[in-house]
Amino acid sequence: MMCQNCGKNPATTHIKTIVNGKLAEYDLCSECARAKGYKSFFNFDDMDFDFNNLLGSFIGAPTGRSNAMRCPKCGASFEEIAESGKIGCAECYNVFRDRLMPTIHRIHGAAKHKGKVPGSNALRIVEPAGKIAVVEEPTPIEKKRAELKEAIEKQDFEHAAELRDEIKEMEKGDGNHA
Amino acid sequence: MQLSCVTKSKKWRKEMGTMLNEEKKWYEKAGKESDVVISTRVRLARNLADMPFPNRMTPDQKAAVERRVRDAILSGNSAIASDFDFVQMDDLSNEQAVSLVERHIVSPEFIANAKGRGFLISKDECISIMVNEEDHVRIQVLHEGLALSEAAEMADRIDTLLNESLRFAFDSELGYLTQCPTNLGTGMRASVMLHLPALTENGAMSRISTNLSKLGLVIRGTYGEGSNVIGAMYQLSNQITLGLSEKEAVENLQNITMQLISEERKTRASLSKNINVQDKVGRSAGVLKNARLLSCDEYMKLISNVRFGIAEKLLSGITLEDIHTLTVAVQPATMAAAHGSNLSAGQRDILRADEVRKALKALQ
Repeated sequence: MMCQNCGKNPATTHIKTIVNGKLAEYDLCSECARAKGYKSFFNFDDMDFDFNNLLGSFIGAPTGRSNAMRCPKCGASFEEIAESGKIGCAECYNVFRDRLMPTIHRIHGAAKHKGKVPGSNALRIVEPAGKIAVVEEPTPIEKKRAELKEAIEKQDFEHAAELRDEIKEMEKGDGNHA
Repeated sequence: MQLSCVTKSKKWRKEMGTMLNEEKKWYEKAGKESDVVISTRVRLARNLADMPFPNRMTPDQKAAVERRVRDAILSGNSAIASDFDFVQMDDLSNEQAVSLVERHIVSPEFIANAKGRGFLISKDECISIMVNEEDHVRIQVLHEGLALSEAAEMADRIDTLLNESLRFAFDSELGYLTQCPTNLGTGMRASVMLHLPALTENGAMSRISTNLSKLGLVIRGTYGEGSNVIGAMYQLSNQITLGLSEKEAVENLQNITMQLISEERKTRASLSKNINVQDKVGRSAGVLKNARLLSCDEYMKLISNVRFGIAEKLLSGITLEDIHTLTVAVQPATMAAAHGSNLSAGQRDILRADEVRKALKALQ
């Protein structure tokens, strides 16, 4: 059996990892096993391990197809991602999801996110019925504008004037962000 | 508001030279379980949703990300604006930059390509926020001793605060989206820096590191990925970020750390009765107390034995805190930053030996 990482040398090291109770097994040559950090303590000192390079080879060798699909947002192709081990942008995770999933499962096990979810101000990508939709909560300034509209409709002009000033302040603040 | 950041950064830069005379920083203190655990670190990786990840960003986009993160912390309505300074890497000398790594404030990767990069740092140097490292935002909280839940809580609060004005890339299935898929999910890497001289001495580390990798944890050298083990110092951290909540990951790491601590203590207790070990500890103290030339490597190896001796009460007269303070002060770049950058390695070894002799005078 050849090494599952480089495919060049015979596999000599069998590695089992249990991640979230799921067993993952792979066979590596001594060089790749060493690079991944699986080696005896006695050589621990010269452990030199760049995960990105290794990850690049885990994601899959570049196929060199010329008509490669590119991420519409950042322009990265899957081949470029595979080569560098670096994802181009958030949208890449949607565009290349099917091809990235096996790698993600190899790293983390077949798991779904558990833990913190960003507040309402964060971009949320949800998938209703297989379609990707981007749901954006109103920003604070949008909320204020809605409140202003409501105040004017109710003819509460004192409150409206306050809101108008607040919005002006917020717009100024936004200018700095641009 | 932005102008004041610049002045702050210059002031901070000036203060760096005298930092060793100031109030004790986290890396100079001894916290909980400090006989084994030097420090705790929790890091969160976050990216802005509307920008490409750092590897595909233009210089203009990098500058925009930096501005937005900086404003999120330093703007007037931020609750912690006055606790933070923004430091532009271009303002620092090479020695000052390396000294930041020696004090674990930024990563080696961050200073390797420092041009145009900046970071936010809290006054007490416990919290740093690197901008445009591997991800747009890297929140890091450091704490002396074992303090995983405290550090995780603080990182969570900083994240929540940043999230008030920044939109982070998030996916319901994959969690927080990161440039490298190894950080997907919580984006949280929690780690403890451990001093394990006894387990190293009796050759148990090989078995331990194999067992740890099965538990989704990884143990490596002091300065993270690819770094060497110096003076029996190890960094233990969680490897898995997807499918485990922050709380679960922290609890898992906490449990394993407690097991390692008890194993190290048991081994220390039996080793410290061994005359060969006692001899080694005594000789190490003797060399450190009398040497006129000390390289950093030699210092790290010997101080590890002395630290073991203090913890096991084979030696007395100085505290673990004294050792922490000294160890930071005698790192090469931190020395250069404090004593002037044109020190040769030989001059540095003389100065280091002087400082060590002075600091360990009471050691017996």
